[in-house]
Amino acid sequence: MSTASPASVERGASLRLGLPGFAAALLRALIPIAIALVVGAILLAVTGWDPISVYRLMAQEAFGDWAAWQGTLAAATPLLFCGLATAIAFRAGAFNVGVDGSFVLGGLAAAWLGAELTGLSGWLLIPLCMIAAAIVGGLWSLPAALLRTRLGVDEVVSTLMLNYVAIGLASWIVNSLLLANGSANSASDPIAPQAQLPTIGSQATMTIGLVIALVAIVLFALWSTRSSSGFELRLAGLNPRFAEATGIDVLKVLGGAMVVSGLVGGLGGGVHALGVVHRFVDGFSPGYGFTGIAVALLARNGAWGLIPAAVLFGALASAGATVQLISAIPLDIVDVLQGTITILAAAQLVGLWRRRKAAA
Amino acid sequence: MHALVGENGAGKTTLMRMLFGLDRPTEGTVVLDDAPVALASPADAAARGIGMVHQEFKLVDELTALENLVLGREPMRRGRIDWAAAREQARELARESGAGLDWDRPVAELPVEARQRLEILRLLHRRADVLILDEPTAVLGPAQVDDLLELLRGLRDRGRTIVFISHKLREVLQLADTVSVLRGGRLVETLPAAAADRDTLVTLMVGERPPVVSLAHQRAAAPAHSPAPALAAQSLGLVDRDGRRRLDDVDLTVRPGEIVGLAGVAGNGQDELVETLVGLRRPTSGTVAIDGRDVTARSVAGRRRAGLGFIPADRRGEGLAIDSSVADNAIAGLHRSDRVARGGWLKPGARERVAQAIVDAYQVRCASLKLAAGRLSGGNQQRLIMGRELAREPRLLIVSQPTRGVDVKGAAYIHGQLLALRERGVGVLLISEELDELAALSDRVVVIAGGRIAGEVAGPAPDLNAVGALMTAAPSGLKEAA
Repeated sequence: MSTASPASVERGASLRLGLPGFAAALLRALIPIAIALVVGAILLAVTGWDPISVYRLMAQEAFGDWAAWQGTLAAATPLLFCGLATAIAFRAGAFNVGVDGSFVLGGLAAAWLGAELTGLSGWLLIPLCMIAAAIVGGLWSLPAALLRTRLGVDEVVSTLMLNYVAIGLASWIVNSLLLANGSANSASDPIAPQAQLPTIGSQATMTIGLVIALVAIVLFALWSTRSSSGFELRLAGLNPRFAEATGIDVLKVLGGAMVVSGLVGGLGGGVHALGVVHRFVDGFSPGYGFTGIAVALLARNGAWGLIPAAVLFGALASAGATVQLISAIPLDIVDVLQGTITILAAAQLVGLWRRRKAAA
Repeated sequence: MHALVGENGAGKTTLMRMLFGLDRPTEGTVVLDDAPVALASPADAAARGIGMVHQEFKLVDELTALENLVLGREPMRRGRIDWAAAREQARELARESGAGLDWDRPVAELPVEARQRLEILRLLHRRADVLILDEPTAVLGPAQVDDLLELLRGLRDRGRTIVFISHKLREVLQLADTVSVLRGGRLVETLPAAAADRDTLVTLMVGERPPVVSLAHQRAAAPAHSPAPALAAQSLGLVDRDGRRRLDDVDLTVRPGEIVGLAGVAGNGQDELVETLVGLRRPTSGTVAIDGRDVTARSVAGRRRAGLGFIPADRRGEGLAIDSSVADNAIAGLHRSDRVARGGWLKPGARERVAQAIVDAYQVRCASLKLAAGRLSGGNQQRLIMGRELAREPRLLIVSQPTRGVDVKGAAYIHGQLLALRERGVGVLLISEELDELAALSDRVVVIAGGRIAGEVAGPAPDLNAVGALMTAAPSGLKEAA
C-alpha cells in the first residue's frame, strides 16, 4: 500500500467496514472509548469502587448542568487548538508531534507582550498577542519542517525532541528574563487586565478563546475541502507518490502544513495564556500538545470530528479534577481512561508509520 | 548448473520464490534430494541448504564484509563472538571458492561485484548446496561477468547445484549445463545447453506469435513534423544512491505525431528513464526538452505546464489516489487550472462538472463520482487516468504499461486513443513489456539494455526478433546490429 500516511485513516474506515463513511468513522471512534471504559471499570472494581457510580458521578461533573458544561468546554479549548494543529499536519502526511512546543512558546510570547505593552487598548493588544503567539509557534516548527524537506530527517523524532527543547527554553526564559518581581515560583508578570480574553458564560475560564477555536475549525473545514491548496494537502497525505506524479510539490505541501500546524499550536498557547493563566508559568502545558494528537487521531483528522473528540478529553480532564475534590476517587482513573483511548487511537498511527517506513 | 530463461512475466521469479520458500505453490511439490519437501519459509529453505541471491542485495551497508558474512551465524565462544574463528572461516571460504574479499571494509564501500561475491560466500558459509541467483549479471560489467562466471563454474565443479535466471542468452549458453524456458507460467522446454543456440531460445521464449492484428495497417503515414520535437533527451545519465549507474548517455527523441516504443528487459533502466523524463528524478547529467523547451531543471508540475502528460505503470500507486473519489482523481493536476479553480479556491461544482465530462468522454464506468477510485476495475481505472491526462491536451504523452491488467476490449480502446493522439500530432513515448503492443503501435522501437540505448528497430511493424535480440544482448561491446 502506498497510501501509508495518517491522512488515509479517514477514508480507510468506510472501505473496510463497508458502512457509510460517517457511521463507520463514528463507530471506529467509539471503539477505543468503549474499550477504555471497560478497562477503567475493571480497575475500579478491582480496587473496590463501583464503576457504574463512579462513571455516573464523572458524567454528572462533566455534563450535569451548565456550569459543568462550561468547565468541560473550557478544558476542551486548548485541546481544540492542539487537535486542529496536529490534524493539519497529519492530513498532509507529516507526523508533527511537536505541537506542544509551539503551544508553550506561543503562550510565552503572548504572556510577555500582554504584560509588557500595558499602554495599548485591549482591542489592539489582544490581536497583537495572538499574532505574535501564532508567529512564534509557526517559527518553532520551521526547523523540523526544513530538516524534513531538505535533508529527509524524520519529523517524528525531530518534533518530539524539540518539544523538550521548547519546554526547557521557556522555563529558562521565565526563570531568568521574565521572572515576575518578588516571585520565586517560575512565573512571569501578570498580563494587563485589558489583555485578558473576555469570558463568555458565568465561569472565568470559558472565554472567547473557545469561539476562536471553533472559527479556526470552520475555516479549516472550508479550506481543506474547497481550496486548491487544501486539495493538495489531502492528496499529498493520501498518496504522496501519486501527488508527486500529478505535479504537486509534496515536500512543499508537507513543510507548509508543518508550519501552519505550529502556527495554530502557537495561537492555542496564546489563547491559553490570555484567557486562562493570565501570565506564563513553568509547566504551562500539562501535555496539551500530546492530548491534541489523541484528539486528532480520534477525529481521524476530519475538521468536525475534532469538536466531539476535544470535548471528550476536556470532559475527562474537567470531571477528573472536580471528582477528586468531592470524593476520594483517585484522579488516576482519569489518566487510565485518557491513556487507554490514546493508545488505542495511536495504535493505528504507529501501524501507518511503520507501513510508510516499509514503503520508503 | 541450470538456467531459467523467459520473457518478463513468464514466471521465472515466481518459480524461484517458490523454490526458496517465499511463495507456496498452490499445486505440485518441490523435490529436494529425491524427497518431496514443503518449504514453509526462506528460513526453512536455508535450513535445507537452499540459498538465494536476490537482485537487490540483502546486506547491511554499515557492517564490514566479515560481519555480514557471519551475521546470524556468528561463531561463539563463551557467549561472545569469536572473531578469530570468523576470520578463519572467511579465509577458508575464500580459498575454497577462489574469491577474495577485503573483509574489513564496510559493505557500503565495496564495489557492486564484491558485494555480490559476498552474498554468494554468505550462502556458502551457511552451507547451502543449492544456490539460486536471480539475474546475477544484471548489475555487472563484462569483465566482472567473466569473474562471476569463473566463480560459479568453480562452485559447480565442487558439487554445488546452481539455478540462475538470466536474460542474457550469451551467458546462459556459456555457463549453463541445462536450460529451461518458461513462457506464460508454463515450462515450454528443458534442453541441454549444448543442444541450444540463441535463435532456438528466442523462439521458445517468444513463442509462435499469432498474426498481429496490427493497428499499423489502419493508420495513415505520420503527419508532417513540426520543427520542435515533443521530447528530446540528450546524454542523460543517472547514478543512484548506491552508486550504481542506472542510465548511461541516453539520447531519445520523440517527434510530434510519432509513437516511439521503448522496449527492454525489466530492470534495465526504463523505469529510471521514465522517472527522469517526467521529473520525479533528477538526472546526474544530460538535458530533457519538452516541446522545444529545456525542462531539465523543472519539477513535475513545470514539465506538465510545458505540455507533458504522464500515465505511470503503477496505476494504484502513482496513477491514482485509490482512497480518493473518482472526482478528486479526475481533477488532480487540474486543480489549479482555470477550469476548476479561481484564485486558489475550487469553483463550486466545477470539480463534478469536469470529472463528469472526463468520465463520459472516456467511458469510465462508475456508479458515482464519489466512489473511491480504487474500487473501479483495472480497465476503468486506466480510462480514468487516461481521461485525466488527455484532458490536459498534452504535447507529449509518456505512457508506461498502458494495458497491464486490462482486458482485451479495454486494451483495444486504449490503443485506439493512443493512435488518435498520434493523428492529432502528439508525441507519444510508449513503454511496454508487451512486445506485440509495441509492434502494433510504434513508428519505431528503441531498446534499452543496461541503462543504455542498445539500438533501434524501425517500424511500422518492427521485427520483434530484432527487438528481442537487442533486449538480451550483453552490455557494452557485445551489442548486435539490429
